[in-house]
Amino acid sequence: MDTAIAKPKYDDNVVKYLTVMAVVFLVLGTSMGTMAAAQLAWPALNFDIAEITFARLRVMHTNTVIFAFGGMTLMATAFYTVQRTNGVKLFSNGMAWTMSILFTIGLLLGVISLSMGMTQGKEYHELIWPLDIAVAIVWLMFTFNFIMTIASRNKQTHSHVYVSNWFFMGMMIMITYLYVVNGLAIPVSLFTSYSIFSGVQDAMIQWWWGHNAVGFFLTAGFLAIMYYFVPKQAQRPIYSYRLSVIHFWALMFGYVWLGAHHLQYTALPDWTGSLGAAISLAMIIPSWGGALNGMLTLSGAWDRLRTDYILRFLIMALAFYAMATFEGPVMSSKTVNALSHYTDWTIGHVHSGALGWVAMVSIGAIYHMVMKLWNTEMYSMKLINFHFWLATIGTVLYIVAMWVSGIMQGLMWRAYDEYGMLAYSFVESVAAMHPYYVMRTMGGVLFTSGAVLMLFNIVMTIRMAKARQTSGSQNVASATA
Amino acid sequence: MSSLQSYFSTDWSAMTGHDWAGLIVTVVIFFGLAYAFWWALRPSKKKELEEQKFKVLDDD
Repeated sequence: MDTAIAKPKYDDNVVKYLTVMAVVFLVLGTSMGTMAAAQLAWPALNFDIAEITFARLRVMHTNTVIFAFGGMTLMATAFYTVQRTNGVKLFSNGMAWTMSILFTIGLLLGVISLSMGMTQGKEYHELIWPLDIAVAIVWLMFTFNFIMTIASRNKQTHSHVYVSNWFFMGMMIMITYLYVVNGLAIPVSLFTSYSIFSGVQDAMIQWWWGHNAVGFFLTAGFLAIMYYFVPKQAQRPIYSYRLSVIHFWALMFGYVWLGAHHLQYTALPDWTGSLGAAISLAMIIPSWGGALNGMLTLSGAWDRLRTDYILRFLIMALAFYAMATFEGPVMSSKTVNALSHYTDWTIGHVHSGALGWVAMVSIGAIYHMVMKLWNTEMYSMKLINFHFWLATIGTVLYIVAMWVSGIMQGLMWRAYDEYGMLAYSFVESVAAMHPYYVMRTMGGVLFTSGAVLMLFNIVMTIRMAKARQTSGSQNVASATA
Repeated sequence: MSSLQSYFSTDWSAMTGHDWAGLIVTVVIFFGLAYAFWWALRPSKKKELEEQKFKVLDDD
Protein backbone atom coordinates (compact mmCIF):
# COMPACT_ATOMS: atom_id res chain seq x y z
CA MET A 1 0.00 0.00 0.00
CA ASP A 2 1.25 3.48 -0.80
CA THR A 3 2.05 5.10 2.52
CA ALA A 4 1.86 8.57 0.96
CA ILE A 5 -1.83 7.96 0.28
CA ALA A 6 -2.45 6.37 3.70
CA LYS A 7 -1.12 9.42 5.55
CA PRO A 8 -3.74 12.03 6.38
CA LYS A 9 -3.57 15.41 4.72
CA TYR A 10 -3.49 18.36 7.05
CA ASP A 11 -5.06 21.82 6.98
CA ASP A 12 -1.79 23.63 6.41
CA ASN A 13 -2.83 26.77 4.52
CA VAL A 14 -3.98 28.50 7.71
CA VAL A 15 -0.72 27.43 9.38
CA LYS A 16 1.22 28.95 6.47
CA TYR A 17 -0.67 32.23 6.85
CA LEU A 18 -0.06 32.40 10.61
CA THR A 19 3.62 31.49 10.19
CA VAL A 20 4.34 34.26 7.68
CA MET A 21 2.32 36.81 9.68
CA ALA A 22 4.25 35.88 12.84
CA VAL A 23 7.52 36.82 11.11
CA VAL A 24 6.02 40.06 9.75
CA PHE A 25 4.94 41.00 13.29
CA LEU A 26 8.37 40.01 14.63
CA VAL A 27 9.95 42.58 12.30
CA LEU A 28 7.34 45.24 13.19
CA GLY A 29 7.48 44.57 16.95
CA THR A 30 11.27 44.52 17.26
CA SER A 31 11.51 47.67 15.09
CA MET A 32 9.14 49.46 17.46
CA GLY A 33 11.15 48.21 20.45
CA THR A 34 14.43 49.36 18.94
CA MET A 35 12.95 52.78 18.18
CA ALA A 36 11.65 53.03 21.77
CA ALA A 37 15.10 52.07 23.09
CA ALA A 38 16.69 54.71 20.86
CA GLN A 39 14.26 57.33 22.19
CA LEU A 40 15.49 56.66 25.73
CA ALA A 41 19.07 57.25 24.57
CA TRP A 42 18.22 60.20 22.31
CA PRO A 43 14.84 61.72 23.38
CA ALA A 44 14.81 63.99 20.29
CA LEU A 45 13.81 60.91 18.31
CA ASN A 46 10.27 61.48 19.60
CA PHE A 47 10.11 64.20 16.89
CA ASP A 48 7.31 65.74 19.01
CA ILE A 49 4.85 63.38 17.35
CA ALA A 50 2.37 62.20 19.98
CA GLU A 51 1.68 58.86 18.26
CA ILE A 52 5.29 57.72 18.51
CA THR A 53 6.31 59.12 21.86
CA PHE A 54 7.93 56.56 24.16
CA ALA A 55 4.84 56.18 26.38
CA ARG A 56 2.75 54.99 23.41
CA LEU A 57 5.49 53.30 21.39
CA ARG A 58 6.54 51.10 24.29
CA VAL A 59 2.99 49.73 24.68
CA MET A 60 2.66 49.25 20.92
CA HIS A 61 5.95 47.31 21.04
CA THR A 62 4.91 45.02 23.92
CA ASN A 63 1.51 44.30 22.38
CA THR A 64 3.01 43.61 18.95
CA VAL A 65 5.76 41.26 20.14
CA ILE A 66 3.74 39.45 22.82
CA PHE A 67 0.29 39.13 21.28
CA ALA A 68 0.95 39.56 17.56
CA PHE A 69 4.27 37.76 17.12
CA GLY A 70 3.90 35.45 20.15
CA GLY A 71 0.20 34.79 19.56
CA MET A 72 0.58 34.10 15.84
CA THR A 73 3.54 31.79 16.54
CA LEU A 74 1.55 29.89 19.18
CA MET A 75 -1.45 29.55 16.89
CA ALA A 76 0.67 28.41 13.94
CA THR A 77 2.63 25.85 15.95
CA ALA A 78 -0.44 24.65 17.86
CA PHE A 79 -2.39 23.99 14.65
CA TYR A 80 0.69 22.45 13.00
CA THR A 81 1.51 20.08 15.87
CA VAL A 82 -2.00 19.10 16.97
CA GLN A 83 -2.77 17.72 13.52
CA ARG A 84 0.45 15.75 13.27
CA THR A 85 0.54 14.35 16.82
CA ASN A 86 -3.09 13.24 16.60
CA GLY A 87 -3.15 12.18 12.95
CA VAL A 88 -6.19 14.30 12.04
CA LYS A 89 -7.08 17.48 10.21
CA LEU A 90 -8.28 20.49 12.17
CA PHE A 91 -11.75 20.17 13.69
CA SER A 92 -12.78 23.24 11.68
CA ASN A 93 -10.56 24.80 9.03
CA GLY A 94 -13.16 27.54 8.50
CA MET A 95 -13.09 28.47 12.18
CA ALA A 96 -9.28 28.54 12.11
CA TRP A 97 -9.32 30.94 9.14
CA THR A 98 -12.03 33.15 10.69
CA MET A 99 -10.07 33.30 13.92
CA SER A 100 -6.79 34.10 12.13
CA ILE A 101 -8.28 36.94 10.08
CA LEU A 102 -10.15 38.40 13.07
CA PHE A 103 -6.99 38.20 15.15
CA THR A 104 -4.97 40.03 12.49
CA ILE A 105 -7.57 42.79 12.18
CA GLY A 106 -7.91 43.04 15.99
CA LEU A 107 -4.14 43.33 16.42
CA LEU A 108 -3.83 46.04 13.77
CA LEU A 109 -6.71 47.99 15.33
CA GLY A 110 -5.07 47.47 18.71
CA VAL A 111 -1.77 48.98 17.59
CA ILE A 112 -3.57 51.91 15.93
CA SER A 113 -5.72 52.58 19.03
CA LEU A 114 -2.66 52.43 21.29
CA SER A 115 -0.83 54.91 19.06
CA MET A 116 -3.84 57.23 19.53
CA GLY A 117 -3.44 56.95 23.29
CA MET A 118 -6.47 54.72 23.88
CA THR A 119 -5.68 52.32 26.70
CA GLN A 120 -7.16 50.59 29.74
CA GLY A 121 -3.93 51.42 31.58
CA LYS A 122 -3.39 47.83 32.76
CA GLU A 123 0.03 46.44 31.92
CA TYR A 124 -0.01 43.74 29.21
CA HIS A 125 -3.78 44.23 29.07
CA GLU A 126 -3.98 47.68 27.52
CA LEU A 127 -6.46 47.18 24.69
CA ILE A 128 -9.72 49.12 25.06
CA TRP A 129 -12.74 47.05 26.04
CA PRO A 130 -14.30 46.35 22.60
CA LEU A 131 -10.95 45.01 21.31
CA ASP A 132 -10.42 43.25 24.62
CA ILE A 133 -13.66 41.29 24.12
CA ALA A 134 -12.76 40.58 20.46
CA VAL A 135 -9.40 39.12 21.53
CA ALA A 136 -11.15 36.95 24.15
CA ILE A 137 -13.56 35.61 21.50
CA VAL A 138 -10.70 34.83 19.11
CA TRP A 139 -8.86 33.05 21.92
CA LEU A 140 -11.92 30.94 22.75
CA MET A 141 -12.30 29.97 19.06
CA PHE A 142 -8.63 28.94 19.03
CA THR A 143 -9.03 26.91 22.24
CA PHE A 144 -12.26 25.24 21.12
CA ASN A 145 -10.82 24.28 17.72
CA PHE A 146 -7.65 22.89 19.30
CA ILE A 147 -9.40 20.81 21.96
CA MET A 148 -12.00 19.50 19.50
CA THR A 149 -9.21 18.48 17.09
CA ILE A 150 -7.71 16.33 19.84
CA ALA A 151 -11.16 14.98 20.71
CA SER A 152 -11.80 14.01 17.08
CA ARG A 153 -8.65 11.83 16.79
CA ASN A 154 -8.85 8.10 16.20
CA LYS A 155 -8.55 6.73 19.74
CA GLN A 156 -7.44 3.32 18.47
CA THR A 157 -4.37 4.58 16.59
CA HIS A 158 -3.71 7.65 18.76
CA SER A 159 -4.79 6.68 22.26
CA HIS A 160 -2.14 8.83 23.97
CA VAL A 161 -2.14 12.63 23.71
CA TYR A 162 1.47 13.81 23.23
CA VAL A 163 2.85 16.10 25.93
CA SER A 164 3.13 19.20 23.71
CA ASN A 165 -0.67 19.18 23.44
CA TRP A 166 -0.95 19.20 27.23
CA PHE A 167 1.21 22.29 27.46
CA PHE A 168 -0.86 24.02 24.77
CA MET A 169 -4.12 23.11 26.53
CA GLY A 170 -2.79 24.24 29.91
CA MET A 171 -1.89 27.59 28.34
CA MET A 172 -5.28 27.98 26.66
CA ILE A 173 -7.35 27.20 29.75
CA MET A 174 -5.28 29.31 32.14
CA ILE A 175 -4.95 32.31 29.80
CA THR A 176 -8.73 32.32 29.24
CA TYR A 177 -9.32 32.39 32.99
CA LEU A 178 -6.62 34.99 33.73
CA TYR A 179 -7.39 37.31 30.80
CA VAL A 180 -11.13 37.37 31.45
CA VAL A 181 -10.86 37.97 35.22
CA ASN A 182 -8.21 40.69 34.90
CA GLY A 183 -10.22 42.35 32.13
CA LEU A 184 -13.49 42.56 34.09
CA ALA A 185 -14.53 46.19 33.67
CA ILE A 186 -17.53 48.46 33.44
CA PRO A 187 -17.73 50.31 30.09
CA VAL A 188 -18.72 53.96 30.36
CA SER A 189 -18.32 54.87 26.69
CA LEU A 190 -17.32 53.20 23.43
CA PHE A 191 -13.61 53.54 24.19
CA THR A 192 -13.49 53.89 27.97
CA SER A 193 -14.06 51.46 30.82
CA TYR A 194 -13.13 51.14 34.48
CA SER A 195 -11.81 47.99 36.14
CA ILE A 196 -14.17 46.42 38.66
CA PHE A 197 -11.18 46.07 40.99
CA SER A 198 -9.61 48.96 42.83
CA GLY A 199 -6.67 49.78 45.08
CA VAL A 200 -4.53 46.94 46.33
CA GLN A 201 -6.94 44.30 44.98
CA ASP A 202 -6.52 45.78 41.51
CA ALA A 203 -2.72 45.60 41.89
CA MET A 204 -2.92 41.99 43.07
CA ILE A 205 -5.22 40.90 40.21
CA GLN A 206 -3.11 42.87 37.73
CA TRP A 207 0.10 41.04 38.67
CA TRP A 208 -1.65 37.71 39.09
CA TRP A 209 -2.45 38.18 35.38
CA GLY A 210 0.85 39.91 34.55
CA HIS A 211 3.14 37.20 35.81
CA ASN A 212 0.92 34.38 34.61
CA ALA A 213 0.89 35.87 31.12
CA VAL A 214 4.63 35.16 31.36
CA GLY A 215 4.05 31.77 32.98
CA PHE A 216 1.33 30.38 30.77
CA PHE A 217 1.45 32.38 27.52
CA LEU A 218 5.22 32.91 27.21
CA THR A 219 6.36 29.78 29.03
CA ALA A 220 3.83 26.92 28.85
CA GLY A 221 2.92 27.66 25.22
CA PHE A 222 6.54 27.90 24.11
CA LEU A 223 7.45 24.78 26.10
CA ALA A 224 4.84 23.00 23.98
CA ILE A 225 6.80 24.24 20.96
CA MET A 226 10.04 22.99 22.54
CA TYR A 227 8.64 19.51 23.32
CA TYR A 228 7.61 19.03 19.68
CA PHE A 229 10.24 20.86 17.64
CA VAL A 230 13.45 19.96 19.54
CA PRO A 231 12.92 16.18 19.04
CA LYS A 232 11.78 16.75 15.44
CA GLN A 233 14.72 18.94 14.49
CA ALA A 234 17.24 16.78 16.38
CA GLN A 235 15.57 13.62 15.00
CA ARG A 236 15.89 12.11 18.45
CA PRO A 237 13.19 11.45 21.08
CA ILE A 238 12.93 13.77 24.04
CA TYR A 239 15.39 12.74 26.79
CA SER A 240 12.73 11.69 29.34
CA TYR A 241 9.01 11.57 28.72
CA ARG A 242 8.31 11.06 32.42
CA LEU A 243 10.23 14.23 33.24
CA SER A 244 8.06 16.09 30.73
CA VAL A 245 4.92 14.90 32.57
CA ILE A 246 6.30 16.12 35.90
CA HIS A 247 7.42 19.37 34.26
CA PHE A 248 3.86 19.94 33.03
CA TRP A 249 2.08 19.34 36.33
CA ALA A 250 4.64 21.25 38.41
CA LEU A 251 4.28 24.23 36.06
CA MET A 252 0.48 24.10 36.15
CA PHE A 253 0.29 23.75 39.93
CA GLY A 254 3.10 26.14 40.78
CA TYR A 255 3.06 29.12 38.45
CA VAL A 256 -0.23 30.68 39.56
CA TRP A 257 1.22 31.58 42.97
CA LEU A 258 4.03 33.83 41.76
CA GLY A 259 2.33 37.13 40.87
CA ALA A 260 2.69 38.81 44.25
CA HIS A 261 6.48 38.87 43.95
CA HIS A 262 5.95 41.88 41.63
CA LEU A 263 4.55 43.78 44.60
CA GLN A 264 7.21 43.43 47.29
CA TYR A 265 7.35 46.38 49.70
CA THR A 266 3.91 47.69 48.69
CA ALA A 267 0.54 47.97 50.45
CA LEU A 268 -0.06 44.26 49.80
CA PRO A 269 0.14 42.04 52.92
CA ASP A 270 3.77 41.04 53.50
CA TRP A 271 3.02 37.31 53.46
CA THR A 272 1.72 37.40 49.89
CA GLY A 273 5.08 38.69 48.63
CA SER A 274 6.90 36.06 50.72
CA LEU A 275 4.67 33.32 49.32
CA GLY A 276 5.31 34.58 45.77
CA ALA A 277 9.07 34.58 46.38
CA ALA A 278 9.09 31.14 48.03
CA ILE A 279 7.13 29.48 45.22
CA SER A 280 9.27 31.34 42.66
CA LEU A 281 12.38 29.75 44.15
CA ALA A 282 10.66 26.35 44.20
CA MET A 283 9.86 26.73 40.50
CA ILE A 284 13.57 26.62 39.62
CA ILE A 285 13.37 22.82 40.01
CA PRO A 286 10.72 22.05 37.34
CA SER A 287 12.01 24.82 35.07
CA TRP A 288 15.54 23.45 35.08
CA GLY A 289 14.15 19.92 34.79
CA GLY A 290 12.39 20.99 31.59
CA ALA A 291 15.41 22.86 30.23
CA LEU A 292 17.68 19.86 30.89
CA ASN A 293 15.11 17.54 29.34
CA GLY A 294 15.30 19.56 26.13
CA MET A 295 19.07 19.94 26.12
CA LEU A 296 19.83 16.31 27.02
CA THR A 297 17.79 15.28 24.00
CA LEU A 298 21.00 16.05 22.12
CA SER A 299 22.95 13.72 24.42
CA GLY A 300 25.41 11.83 22.22
CA ALA A 301 24.70 14.05 19.21
CA TRP A 302 26.04 17.43 20.25
CA ASP A 303 28.02 17.59 17.00
CA ARG A 304 24.71 18.34 15.27
CA LEU A 305 24.98 21.88 16.60
CA ARG A 306 27.97 22.44 14.32
CA THR A 307 25.94 21.95 11.16
CA ASP A 308 22.27 22.39 12.10
CA TYR A 309 21.67 26.11 12.50
CA ILE A 310 17.96 25.69 13.30
CA LEU A 311 18.82 23.35 16.16
CA ARG A 312 21.21 26.01 17.43
CA PHE A 313 18.28 28.42 17.87
CA LEU A 314 16.30 25.79 19.79
CA ILE A 315 19.13 24.80 22.12
CA MET A 316 20.27 28.38 22.70
CA ALA A 317 16.65 29.16 23.62
CA LEU A 318 16.78 26.45 26.28
CA ALA A 319 20.01 27.89 27.68
CA PHE A 320 18.31 31.30 28.00
CA TYR A 321 15.20 29.62 29.49
CA ALA A 322 17.37 28.03 32.19
CA MET A 323 19.14 31.32 32.86
CA ALA A 324 15.96 33.42 33.01
CA THR A 325 14.17 30.91 35.25
CA PHE A 326 17.05 31.10 37.70
CA GLU A 327 17.41 34.88 37.55
CA GLY A 328 13.67 35.52 38.05
CA PRO A 329 13.35 33.68 41.39
CA VAL A 330 16.56 35.31 42.66
CA MET A 331 15.12 38.75 41.77
CA SER A 332 11.85 37.87 43.51
CA SER A 333 13.54 37.31 46.89
CA LYS A 334 13.05 40.34 49.08
CA THR A 335 16.73 41.16 49.60
CA VAL A 336 17.54 41.22 45.88
CA ASN A 337 14.18 42.80 45.02
CA ALA A 338 14.99 45.76 47.27
CA LEU A 339 17.82 46.55 44.84
CA SER A 340 16.41 45.36 41.53
CA HIS A 341 12.80 46.57 41.62
CA TYR A 342 11.94 49.59 39.43
CA THR A 343 15.39 49.40 37.79
CA ASP A 344 16.54 48.37 34.29
CA TRP A 345 17.61 44.99 35.69
CA THR A 346 13.94 43.98 35.39
CA ILE A 347 13.94 45.04 31.73
CA GLY A 348 17.10 42.98 31.18
CA HIS A 349 15.51 39.95 32.85
CA VAL A 350 12.35 40.24 30.78
CA HIS A 351 14.36 40.43 27.56
CA SER A 352 16.58 37.47 28.41
CA GLY A 353 13.30 35.54 28.53
CA ALA A 354 11.60 37.32 25.64
CA LEU A 355 14.50 37.51 23.17
CA GLY A 356 16.60 34.59 24.40
CA TRP A 357 13.85 32.08 25.12
CA VAL A 358 10.55 33.02 23.44
CA ALA A 359 11.88 34.55 20.23
CA MET A 360 14.70 32.04 19.70
CA VAL A 361 12.53 28.94 20.23
CA SER A 362 9.89 30.51 17.94
CA ILE A 363 12.46 31.29 15.25
CA GLY A 364 13.77 27.71 15.34
CA ALA A 365 10.24 26.30 15.10
CA ILE A 366 9.27 28.69 12.28
CA TYR A 367 12.32 27.78 10.15
CA HIS A 368 11.49 24.09 10.72
CA MET A 369 7.84 24.59 9.75
CA VAL A 370 8.62 26.66 6.65
CA MET A 371 10.71 23.83 5.18
CA LYS A 372 8.02 21.23 5.99
CA LEU A 373 5.01 23.31 4.94
CA TRP A 374 6.45 24.33 1.56
CA ASN A 375 8.29 21.00 1.21
CA THR A 376 11.60 22.64 0.37
CA GLU A 377 15.04 23.53 1.69
CA MET A 378 15.59 27.08 2.90
CA TYR A 379 16.70 29.66 0.33
CA SER A 380 19.91 30.20 2.32
CA MET A 381 21.18 28.18 5.29
CA LYS A 382 24.09 30.61 5.60
CA LEU A 383 21.61 33.40 6.29
CA ILE A 384 20.12 31.31 9.11
CA ASN A 385 23.58 30.97 10.62
CA PHE A 386 24.12 34.72 10.26
CA HIS A 387 20.68 35.31 11.82
CA PHE A 388 21.62 33.07 14.75
CA TRP A 389 24.71 35.12 15.56
CA LEU A 390 22.90 38.46 15.10
CA ALA A 391 20.14 37.28 17.47
CA THR A 392 22.53 35.83 20.05
CA ILE A 393 24.94 38.77 20.12
CA GLY A 394 22.02 41.23 20.05
CA THR A 395 20.35 39.53 23.01
CA VAL A 396 23.55 39.33 25.05
CA LEU A 397 24.40 42.97 24.32
CA TYR A 398 20.89 44.01 25.37
CA ILE A 399 20.75 42.09 28.64
CA VAL A 400 24.30 42.88 29.74
CA ALA A 401 23.61 46.60 29.18
CA MET A 402 20.46 46.36 31.28
CA TRP A 403 22.12 44.33 34.05
CA VAL A 404 24.89 46.91 34.46
CA SER A 405 22.49 49.82 34.09
CA GLY A 406 19.93 48.33 36.51
CA ILE A 407 22.38 47.43 39.25
CA MET A 408 24.02 50.83 38.94
CA GLN A 409 20.60 52.54 39.16
CA GLY A 410 19.67 50.52 42.26
CA LEU A 411 22.98 51.33 43.96
CA MET A 412 22.80 55.05 43.08
CA TRP A 413 19.23 55.36 44.38
CA ARG A 414 20.08 53.84 47.76
CA ALA A 415 23.51 55.49 48.28
CA TYR A 416 23.68 58.16 50.98
CA ASP A 417 26.43 60.31 52.43
CA GLU A 418 27.72 60.70 56.00
CA TYR A 419 24.89 63.14 56.80
CA GLY A 420 22.21 60.64 55.76
CA MET A 421 21.39 62.57 52.59
CA LEU A 422 20.93 60.85 49.22
CA ALA A 423 24.29 60.83 47.46
CA TYR A 424 22.81 61.21 43.96
CA SER A 425 19.85 63.09 42.54
CA PHE A 426 17.49 61.14 40.27
CA VAL A 427 18.64 63.06 37.21
CA GLU A 428 22.25 62.04 37.91
CA SER A 429 21.18 58.40 37.77
CA VAL A 430 19.39 59.06 34.46
CA ALA A 431 22.54 60.66 33.00
CA ALA A 432 24.62 57.70 34.16
CA MET A 433 22.36 55.34 32.20
CA HIS A 434 23.05 56.95 28.82
CA PRO A 435 25.94 54.71 27.63
CA TYR A 436 23.95 51.60 28.54
CA TYR A 437 20.86 52.86 26.72
CA VAL A 438 23.01 53.33 23.62
CA MET A 439 24.40 49.79 24.09
CA ARG A 440 20.88 48.41 24.50
CA THR A 441 19.79 50.14 21.29
CA MET A 442 22.69 48.50 19.44
CA GLY A 443 21.55 45.12 20.77
CA GLY A 444 18.05 45.87 19.49
CA VAL A 445 19.38 46.91 16.08
CA LEU A 446 21.26 43.60 15.78
CA PHE A 447 18.23 41.53 16.82
CA THR A 448 15.89 43.43 14.49
CA SER A 449 18.36 43.07 11.59
CA GLY A 450 18.24 39.31 12.17
CA ALA A 451 14.44 39.38 12.03
CA VAL A 452 14.54 41.29 8.71
CA LEU A 453 16.98 38.72 7.30
CA MET A 454 14.63 35.97 8.46
CA LEU A 455 11.68 37.55 6.67
CA PHE A 456 13.76 37.93 3.49
CA ASN A 457 14.96 34.32 3.71
CA ILE A 458 11.44 32.99 4.23
CA VAL A 459 9.91 35.08 1.42
CA MET A 460 12.66 33.89 -0.97
CA THR A 461 12.15 30.28 0.18
CA ILE A 462 8.41 30.47 -0.53
CA ARG A 463 8.99 32.09 -3.94
CA MET A 464 11.58 29.42 -4.77
CA ALA A 465 9.21 26.62 -3.69
CA LYS A 466 6.34 28.07 -5.73
CA ALA A 467 8.56 28.53 -8.81
CA ARG A 468 9.70 24.93 -8.53
CA GLN A 469 6.11 23.76 -8.13
CA THR A 470 5.03 25.74 -11.21
CA SER A 471 7.89 24.46 -13.38
CA GLY A 472 7.23 20.91 -12.09
CA SER A 473 3.57 21.04 -13.07
CA GLN A 474 4.49 22.54 -16.49
CA ASN A 475 6.91 19.66 -17.10
CA VAL A 476 4.21 17.14 -16.20
CA ALA A 477 1.73 18.93 -18.50
CA SER A 478 4.18 18.97 -21.45
CA ALA A 479 5.12 15.31 -20.86
CA THR A 480 1.49 14.20 -20.90
CA ALA A 481 0.58 16.41 -23.93
CA MET B 1 6.70 29.42 73.38
CA SER B 2 9.93 29.07 71.37
CA SER B 3 10.51 31.40 68.46
CA LEU B 4 10.02 28.45 66.09
CA GLN B 5 6.70 27.59 67.69
CA SER B 6 5.55 31.20 67.54
CA TYR B 7 6.52 31.35 63.86
CA PHE B 8 4.26 28.44 63.02
CA SER B 9 1.43 29.23 65.47
CA THR B 10 -1.93 30.18 63.98
CA ASP B 11 -4.96 31.87 65.49
CA TRP B 12 -7.48 29.43 64.03
CA SER B 13 -10.45 31.39 65.38
CA ALA B 14 -9.38 34.40 63.31
CA MET B 15 -9.45 32.45 60.03
CA THR B 16 -11.89 33.95 57.51
CA GLY B 17 -13.68 32.08 54.73
CA HIS B 18 -11.01 33.24 52.27
CA ASP B 19 -8.27 31.97 54.57
CA TRP B 20 -9.89 28.53 54.77
CA ALA B 21 -10.44 28.42 51.01
CA GLY B 22 -6.76 29.29 50.44
CA LEU B 23 -5.59 26.75 53.00
CA ILE B 24 -7.68 23.95 51.50
CA VAL B 25 -6.61 24.74 47.93
CA THR B 26 -2.94 24.82 49.01
CA VAL B 27 -3.13 21.46 50.80
CA VAL B 28 -5.09 19.84 47.93
CA ILE B 29 -2.55 21.10 45.39
CA PHE B 30 0.34 19.85 47.52
CA PHE B 31 -1.11 16.34 47.60
CA GLY B 32 -2.15 16.58 43.94
CA LEU B 33 1.42 17.39 42.95
CA ALA B 34 2.79 14.62 45.17
CA TYR B 35 0.39 12.19 43.45
CA ALA B 36 1.47 13.42 39.99
CA PHE B 37 5.13 12.79 40.90
CA TRP B 38 4.32 9.30 42.24
CA TRP B 39 2.16 8.48 39.19
CA ALA B 40 4.78 9.49 36.64
CA LEU B 41 7.87 8.16 38.41
CA ARG B 42 6.74 4.70 39.58
CA PRO B 43 8.82 2.02 37.84
CA SER B 44 5.77 0.15 36.51
CA LYS B 45 4.82 3.24 34.45
CA LYS B 46 8.26 3.74 32.89
CA LYS B 47 7.83 1.61 29.75
CA GLU B 48 4.31 2.86 29.00
CA LEU B 49 5.27 6.53 29.28
CA GLU B 50 8.72 6.45 27.70
CA GLU B 51 7.52 4.69 24.53
CA GLN B 52 5.29 7.71 23.77
CA LYS B 53 8.31 9.84 23.00
CA PHE B 54 9.16 7.89 19.83
CA LYS B 55 5.78 8.44 18.15
CA VAL B 56 6.41 12.12 17.47
CA LEU B 57 9.43 11.31 15.29
CA ASP B 58 7.48 9.80 12.39
CA ASP B 59 4.24 11.75 12.32
CA ASP B 60 4.90 13.70 9.09
